[in-house]
Amino acid sequence: MYSRIFGMEVMNNFFIGILFFILSGFIASLFNKKSKITVLSILCFAGSLFCISPVLNILFGGENLVAQYNFNPVFGPINFVIDPLSAFFIVVICIMSLMGVIYSKGYLKPYLDKVKNINSHLIFLPLLIASMLLVVSCQNAFAFLIFWEIMSLSSFFLVIFESDKKDVLKAGIKYLVFMHISVIFIIIAFALCTINAGGYDFSLFSQSLKENSHLANLVFAFAFIGFGTKAGFVPFHNWLPDAHPAAPSHVSAIMSGVMIKTGIYGILRVLSFYATPSKALAFAVLIISVISALYGVLYAITQHDLKRLLAYHSIENIGIIGIGTGVGMLGLAYGQIQIALIGFAGAILHILNHSIFKELLFLSAGSVYIKTHTRDIEILGGLIKSMPFSAVLFLIGSVAICGLPPFNGFISEFLIYFSMLKCLAVKDFFVLIALLFSIAGLALVGTMAVLCFTKAFSIIFLGMPRSDNATAPKSDSEKSMLFPMGFLAILTLLIGIFPQYVFDVVLKPACFIANTQAIPYDSCANLMQTISLCAFGFIAFTLVLLLVKFKFSNKVEMHQTWGCGYDRANNRMQYSASSYASPFLSMLRPLFKKIFDIEKPKQLFPKSAHFSLHIDDIEEAYVINPLVKFDEWFLSKFEAIQSGNIQSYIKYGLIFLVLIIIGSLFIG
Amino acid sequence: MAIKILNILIVLFVPFLMLGVIKKTKAFWGGRYGASVFQPLYDFIKLMKKDFVISTTTSKVFRITPVIVIASVLFAALFVPLASSSAIVNIEAGFVVFAYILSFSKFFSLISAMDTGSSFEGMGASREACFTTIVEPAFFMLLASIMALSGNYTFDSLGKIIENAGGYGVLICIFAVLVLFIMILTEGSRVPVDDPATHLELTMIHEVMILDNSASDLALISWANGIKMLLLSSLIAAIVIPQGLPTGLSVLAYLALMFVISVIIGTIESATARIRMSHVFEFIFVMSSFALIVLSLVVARMFGG
Repeated sequence: MYSRIFGMEVMNNFFIGILFFILSGFIASLFNKKSKITVLSILCFAGSLFCISPVLNILFGGENLVAQYNFNPVFGPINFVIDPLSAFFIVVICIMSLMGVIYSKGYLKPYLDKVKNINSHLIFLPLLIASMLLVVSCQNAFAFLIFWEIMSLSSFFLVIFESDKKDVLKAGIKYLVFMHISVIFIIIAFALCTINAGGYDFSLFSQSLKENSHLANLVFAFAFIGFGTKAGFVPFHNWLPDAHPAAPSHVSAIMSGVMIKTGIYGILRVLSFYATPSKALAFAVLIISVISALYGVLYAITQHDLKRLLAYHSIENIGIIGIGTGVGMLGLAYGQIQIALIGFAGAILHILNHSIFKELLFLSAGSVYIKTHTRDIEILGGLIKSMPFSAVLFLIGSVAICGLPPFNGFISEFLIYFSMLKCLAVKDFFVLIALLFSIAGLALVGTMAVLCFTKAFSIIFLGMPRSDNATAPKSDSEKSMLFPMGFLAILTLLIGIFPQYVFDVVLKPACFIANTQAIPYDSCANLMQTISLCAFGFIAFTLVLLLVKFKFSNKVEMHQTWGCGYDRANNRMQYSASSYASPFLSMLRPLFKKIFDIEKPKQLFPKSAHFSLHIDDIEEAYVINPLVKFDEWFLSKFEAIQSGNIQSYIKYGLIFLVLIIIGSLFIG
Repeated sequence: MAIKILNILIVLFVPFLMLGVIKKTKAFWGGRYGASVFQPLYDFIKLMKKDFVISTTTSKVFRITPVIVIASVLFAALFVPLASSSAIVNIEAGFVVFAYILSFSKFFSLISAMDTGSSFEGMGASREACFTTIVEPAFFMLLASIMALSGNYTFDSLGKIIENAGGYGVLICIFAVLVLFIMILTEGSRVPVDDPATHLELTMIHEVMILDNSASDLALISWANGIKMLLLSSLIAAIVIPQGLPTGLSVLAYLALMFVISVIIGTIESATARIRMSHVFEFIFVMSSFALIVLSLVVARMFGG
């Protein structure tokens, strides 16, 4: 147990912050419709301040915060420890969730009159934030699972906001089922630890697992499946692309930006218990991650539903985070601590970066949805003219998510590449092969992301409007929606230009995971300096050139687009999202299931004809659906038991009791 | 310092000459006298003076793209070893920065093509995006393999293949050069991937993406394309030209190599036709398989008997 209770008063601030979050929803629901969400935002802002202020110091080298509470004699005292890893997640959760809450003011406006359960939505939203904060700070396995469950349930209620829609409800239930399958694995992992350690506290786990490396690897494997389902690693990702489109945009932003990262937190936490993973495990994580990244971006390219597309990109980015983690684990397994540090630093920085640009993209997608009432990008187009701010913000998010300089995504991907290259120096056959293919894989992911986001951005915002939905918006979104988006966009740029400061911060949690004191890696810090200078120079250079161009521009004459002599081009002749992706997808035909819905034109003067293409997830088509079918078939065999007759139910009870008595006679 | 200034001048002006030499070579094989090798430079100056014609469908994205393209290509030049020296910004994992800056310019040229709402340009953009997905992984695999061999993660490792790879050195060099050469043909949109001379929009890739660009926009994009070819050719130079030559000789060798590469490209363009679109993928996949050969040679060198 902790002999020393350090910083109890400072820690109290953190709990006051959490109390603010928990109560804010209830308080906000007392107010009238107009001021509800303003009150909620103010309270959440206060809560974030309280939570962030005590932990910020830890990220700059301060000492851990520890607090102990003796609620429960059975499961022992509950420790809350804020170490660098927790502190990092607390900062990310607070900032990103706050942006989501502020955004919801504008986003929920059209729903205030329509939807009855708005109050429950406002209660569950801050509850989700509070439970995430508790999950990342609590050090008792039992309490952890309780907070974890509160997190899953509150996010479930947020997902089914529009519960009158059948799809939404279905997606919500799928999410619930997946979360409860995942929690079984987490329970198994923690149960194994508890049996071995004789207590529920993480510090006990850590002590006992360090001595028993076989058990440690087994625990990690279970934890990876459990937490990996939350995070969305392939093949446990299936809930993600359904749940995100179903939820309102600010909720998908918080879920994709922050909540799925708690899964990564769990994986990193379990890893920090023992920090000497076996080689096989490290390879497994690396390979699963590369596959996740490729799978995610491939399916993102096939999607035309904007939020589904973004959800698949979450899988891709979780894969990239996993690649960094995998390289870190390889470094640990081969005793190359410096490589491990860079790998983890890359992964942790990508957690931050992804939460920034993914939230930015989901929020921009939401502002498009609110104005056009559709998520189908095939019927949009030309929105940059009516919604210029949303367009620019979406563009910044797209460039950042593709990992292109000078934005933040590049920095973390660069760190991950760098760690992989450094890891090539481990003269090991399997490491060499695995890493060379991972490097090529990550490059492929990067270019596929470019393909996907050039598609998404240009079909939504550029060209001519493709339907009435696209001509509907007359003005850009409200300021309360644009403000959080602008804030996030500035963050993406700041991290891209000043990576050296962020690198110092993410090194702390990385050292914590690797269970080592900070070893400065000179060359890497210097690299960050150089990249910072280059990014700065690049932006300045581009701006000067732009200035020169527009200052000394020659005369401009407007004319319609060159159509090779044809001058009646209309919006239906533009390239569509499916046609844009088609050459690429045609190369990878076996990897997905295409479902065509065609009615060909008939007769001389055809009246009706249509064509639609839907692409199914192979995992859903070939694994999940057959499993569900089997389940239904198997359970239908027991229908006879459910007769609806009360006498027979009493009879079952009686038989059961008799069996128990007989059984206990034999065993006793 | 002097060599760095010389390199900057090379990046700015040699691309025009390379394009000129390619055209001259094609004229030679076609039995024509052909335009002067400085013609691309004259074209550039002429285009810079012209007025714009801009599509009414387009937005600001279309206007800023040429500047972003030229800025990023010029910036990418900082990370590449040029005549007789290491890269100006010679950092570890510099090739990642190089490739991603080029990706940045590609991102904007793709959305700029889509901005016009023309189906021709959409077609070009979609093909270009698709080709990149094949080219880039092969490029990364090639460079990572070569760097694994020498344990040096800067572009300098390209010059050290022979000394590190022993008996495999020559083979690795040959395949590495072939990979880079196919990359030049693809990224520089030359025959047999693309035909910069044709005006049949349906068969083009890069050229069709810039159908609506005019005046200085068009000039900048063509220039950027030339620079991109030069940078990739410089990587070949880093492999082929032996290190340790006197500076003057090394610069001459570099320029001679640029000339030779241009002549080879011109000759290929005269001798073969564009490949059918559905077979272009197969051609570019040859690059991936060569990169795989380099990878396996490196593995054989490091772990073989």
